[in-house]
Amino acid sequence: MAALRTSPIFTALEAHSPEWGEHAGMRVALRLRDENAAKADTLALTDVSSLVRTGLKGPGAVQWLEGQGVPVPQGFNRWLPLPEGGLVARLARTEFLIEDGWAGGPVVRLAAALRTTVPGVYPVPRQDCAIDICGANAPDLFAETCTVPFALDPLEARIVTLTTMVGVGVTVLRHDVQGRPCWRVWCDGTSGPYLWETLTSIAAEHGGGPMGVRVLHGDISQPVAGTQGGRP
Amino acid sequence: MTTRLPPVDGEWIDRKKSLGFRFEGGDFTGFAGDTPASALWAAGVRTLGRSFKYHRPRGLLSAANHDVNAMVQWGQKLNTRADVEALVDGMVLDAINTQGGVASDRLRILNSLGRFLPVGFYYKAFHRPKALAAFWERVFRRLTGLGRLDFSTPHIRTPKRYDYADVLVVGAGPSGLSAALAAARTGAQVVVVDENARIGGSLVYQRGGAAATLDRLRALEVELRAMPNVSLRPATLAAGWYTDHWVPLIDATRMTKLRARAVVVAGGVFEQPAVFRGNDVPGVMLASAAQRLVYRHAVKPMNTAVALVGNADGYRAVLDLLAAGVTVAAVVDLRPAGEPGPFGGAVRDHGVRVLAGHGVYEAVAEGDRLAAALVCPLDAAGNAVTGKVTRIPCDGLVMSVGWAPAAAMLYQAGTRMRFDPVTQQFVPERLGDGIFAAGRVNGVHDIEARFLDGTRAGLEAARHAGRTVEGPMPVVPAETVAPSHPWPFVSHPSGKDFVDFDEDLQTKDFANAVQEGFDNIELLKRYSTVGMGPSQGKHSNMNAIRILAKLRGMQPGEVGTTTARPFFHPVPLSHLAGRGFHPHRETPFHPRHVALGAKWMQAGIWLRPEYYEVAGESREACIRAEVRAVRSGVGLIDVGTLGKLELRGPDAAKFLERVYVGKFAGLKPGMTRYGVMVDESGVVIDDGVIARLSDEHFYFTTTTTGSATVYRELQRLNAEWNMEIGIVNATGAFAALNLAGPHSRAVLGRLTSVDLTHAAFPYLGLRETEVAGAPVRLMRVGFVGETGYEIHVPAEYALHVWDAIMEAGRAEGIRPFGVEAQRMLRLEKGHIIVGQDTDGLTTPDEAALEWAVKMDKPFFVGQRSLAILKKRGPRQKLVGFALEPGASVVPKECHLVIIDGAIKGRVTSIGFSEALGHHVGLALVAPDITAEGTALPIRVDNAYAAARVVPLPFYDPAGDRQKLPD
Repeated sequence: MAALRTSPIFTALEAHSPEWGEHAGMRVALRLRDENAAKADTLALTDVSSLVRTGLKGPGAVQWLEGQGVPVPQGFNRWLPLPEGGLVARLARTEFLIEDGWAGGPVVRLAAALRTTVPGVYPVPRQDCAIDICGANAPDLFAETCTVPFALDPLEARIVTLTTMVGVGVTVLRHDVQGRPCWRVWCDGTSGPYLWETLTSIAAEHGGGPMGVRVLHGDISQPVAGTQGGRP
Repeated sequence: MTTRLPPVDGEWIDRKKSLGFRFEGGDFTGFAGDTPASALWAAGVRTLGRSFKYHRPRGLLSAANHDVNAMVQWGQKLNTRADVEALVDGMVLDAINTQGGVASDRLRILNSLGRFLPVGFYYKAFHRPKALAAFWERVFRRLTGLGRLDFSTPHIRTPKRYDYADVLVVGAGPSGLSAALAAARTGAQVVVVDENARIGGSLVYQRGGAAATLDRLRALEVELRAMPNVSLRPATLAAGWYTDHWVPLIDATRMTKLRARAVVVAGGVFEQPAVFRGNDVPGVMLASAAQRLVYRHAVKPMNTAVALVGNADGYRAVLDLLAAGVTVAAVVDLRPAGEPGPFGGAVRDHGVRVLAGHGVYEAVAEGDRLAAALVCPLDAAGNAVTGKVTRIPCDGLVMSVGWAPAAAMLYQAGTRMRFDPVTQQFVPERLGDGIFAAGRVNGVHDIEARFLDGTRAGLEAARHAGRTVEGPMPVVPAETVAPSHPWPFVSHPSGKDFVDFDEDLQTKDFANAVQEGFDNIELLKRYSTVGMGPSQGKHSNMNAIRILAKLRGMQPGEVGTTTARPFFHPVPLSHLAGRGFHPHRETPFHPRHVALGAKWMQAGIWLRPEYYEVAGESREACIRAEVRAVRSGVGLIDVGTLGKLELRGPDAAKFLERVYVGKFAGLKPGMTRYGVMVDESGVVIDDGVIARLSDEHFYFTTTTTGSATVYRELQRLNAEWNMEIGIVNATGAFAALNLAGPHSRAVLGRLTSVDLTHAAFPYLGLRETEVAGAPVRLMRVGFVGETGYEIHVPAEYALHVWDAIMEAGRAEGIRPFGVEAQRMLRLEKGHIIVGQDTDGLTTPDEAALEWAVKMDKPFFVGQRSLAILKKRGPRQKLVGFALEPGASVVPKECHLVIIDGAIKGRVTSIGFSEALGHHVGLALVAPDITAEGTALPIRVDNAYAAARVVPLPFYDPAGDRQKLPD
């Protein structure tokens, strides 16, 4: 069956004639025709919207998550990696974002469990645009686009920052990939095209640009036939 | 002729890099590290520009970024400050504000017409006779100005940057660097900025002929540069202070918005000129300017100098001149007792003649150059004893009579300043939270005391920023000798004794202004324009205060200072404009709209298709075709911009009962209901459809522009009411479509397993199901007056569903329609748009929504107000109106209903109804003209449209279109 899900920035990626793959029912740009893999060390922006995620909030959220075997970050605005893959981010005292990793995670299970009414637990639908921003020059990009100095936060502190970037509400956390400094940025999908376009244009001034997922995250999918050389 | 000195220890120039440039048509050379002014001075050029008003020749005054008479045009870059701009190879420069060049400026004749240009002459010229105001405007525009603006200059999108620091230190002189070091040693992240090209401040150039200060600077710099938590940023101006220690930092390429936990202001002081006749002749300069020339650029400022002094700093400057090989003909000390300190002794040891209790009566020019100083004794009152004038030949005259604090940031940060009679300077009395002052701006002038004061301020700032500071604070000794002379003026009957070099203001101008009643410092500033030029009073405000104080018999502290607003120094407009961020949101269907030729319109932060352009068709034709498609076939519109909220919890229904005017407790799961929201005063603020998914789960829409506001308000209300609910803003999480038209059921039926028959899925019904395999919420709605379905789908499935519907509707000729068509369709049904058909005062009763209000509920927001308003009766009523078919005069929205000359209402919506064959509209009108058939004369330019009140809805009043057979 063809992919039913579409990334909020699919059109922007399409302009780079990518080699497409599929992940969790969504087309994923594995490699952009014009990408330079070396930029991953400088500054690269990668669409990771295909990762499935869910959210929940309410006074019973902490207890419910613990009951589901999900580790709960003890501090507000902190995150933890999940043993099954992915992460759980505590966005507020009683609000959480849970995102699977490339190989899976608990989201589907949790989302199913949330379909039945749980007292004090309210599902939060997540249809985010998610972008990984990596490389040594990423802090320069953030310094031009965001007033909060989250790039100064130490990796091991696992801090989640809710702020605005180029005027768009975003959630940010640092999760280095293959030894590279890397930040994951989520925003409402409807703001995704603007955020992506603006960030990539500024990133170009810092020696960076968009990149497919393969360089950062490896072979998360087989290529879609006929797209290895660009558009199908 | 060149006056370049042999290599000077610590000089900023690189003698290996020679740079060529042009100035006023002449070719010159300098070195990397020079400024245009220093290179020209080294080449013997003394006239660098012309003054603003009298077009007098002017040279170098401060060499400190404030020499507005030495501003030059550099191609498209105007008002380049020649005293600090780095020299660039190939520069082509011209003095600004001349007619015919700086050497032979035709407007120099104005220097002889001074008596016709009294203080306030701008105001006087414009004031009376008024008929000549336009004439004077042309004259002033021609005679004044600061450079030529080239409108073809490219738009430079200067990026902005955000930055952070525990401690921001403004000023990299002895106190600033000491503060930075002290703060950094506590572990604080420290940023040090200084507007000069290199750090060091006065340590670089106030040496007193010795190397000790330079050695101190080098030691400090080595230590600071080795500290990873210190960022040294020369050539960076801290342009102002804003709340929460937000400081804009301006460098050559950008503005950085830095937020600090604490700020140390160590910006030092501005040296102040003495006021005497001819104090603007090229060759007369501040002593610190001469020192900068010597030590930064290795330029000998003059061959023979007279030093007019009023403090120890002047003697130190004399030692620096002597070290540079300048012959000092005399030190003219305003103070009767001369200089008691070590610098005084050192100068006398060099055999320099010191004239204590003397002043400069006049600086005499030959041509445009200084030739001599006329010096005379001063009596006990400080007046010149003109019978004992002595002529001392010289080609340079340095002034060192006092200082004014660079306190603009302190003022902006709410610092209360006081005038300290000991130092003759305004000093901080009470600093704002997190603001610290150090060094000379703090009234501390002794060099060792400045190091101490910097350390103290740095430690206090670090402590404020949360760092641990142990041990006692350094104790800073108080000043005992005034570094500023209280009256550095020597009057002359012929004037030309300048107080403000930007605006060519003389001492007499102040006396005249005060005589005319402008005797308050703020009034005096505006009337005389003192301090309003490009240097913003850095060299004039203090002397203006002293003059006003003397004229009014007050102390300077009683006169006070003018307001110091950010930015306190001019910055390029390109830095302020910068790169702009203008966020917008796109629904997930955006790519399809683009492909279909959508013409866009802004709806709040969203982009929406106004209509879809068809080649060769007009806008109106396209919109009418879209309307026709919905009325006769099937159309599809993106309604994803509607706000979408989810409400869950045991109290969800109870909560809705309290925030909407209607009833929802009895709404059955699987059904929807229209809801209206009013504010506390009973005014309609939003509307939407409330869908009940289960007993404790509602999903409801808001207007496009209202979603964020409504969400915030509902959260606020729940914080107040503490009900057991959870509210989620799902606006972006769901895309939404309205599939409408008589064939909509058939099209949808091909994509879903839901039974769409009337009986199974009635009007206002709700179903959770799948469309084309994607999970959706289906709602039977009638906003556009045809059988229709709102399809709410998680955003990631949106494009898939759109494509499936368009494919499924191909046989029926499905057509996407835009906002304009939807507006017409809903108008035909008489459905209102909140915000368009209502205003900031419209109640439900006035908007023909009284049917939606259930006053018999125990409580809802605005209920009490509506009860009161009900007794008063409506102020206006929304009515439908129609024009005759073929009407030639057609109003537009907001055109007025005028009866007997009185405004009786206004049109809120209007459009041509193809279904009805004439224009229909909605209008908010006075209650007495709402009866069916009432004539509504609507003013359109100079004519009236003949409209009549008709009942609503215009189209399908029985609602038959919702009952089309299965």
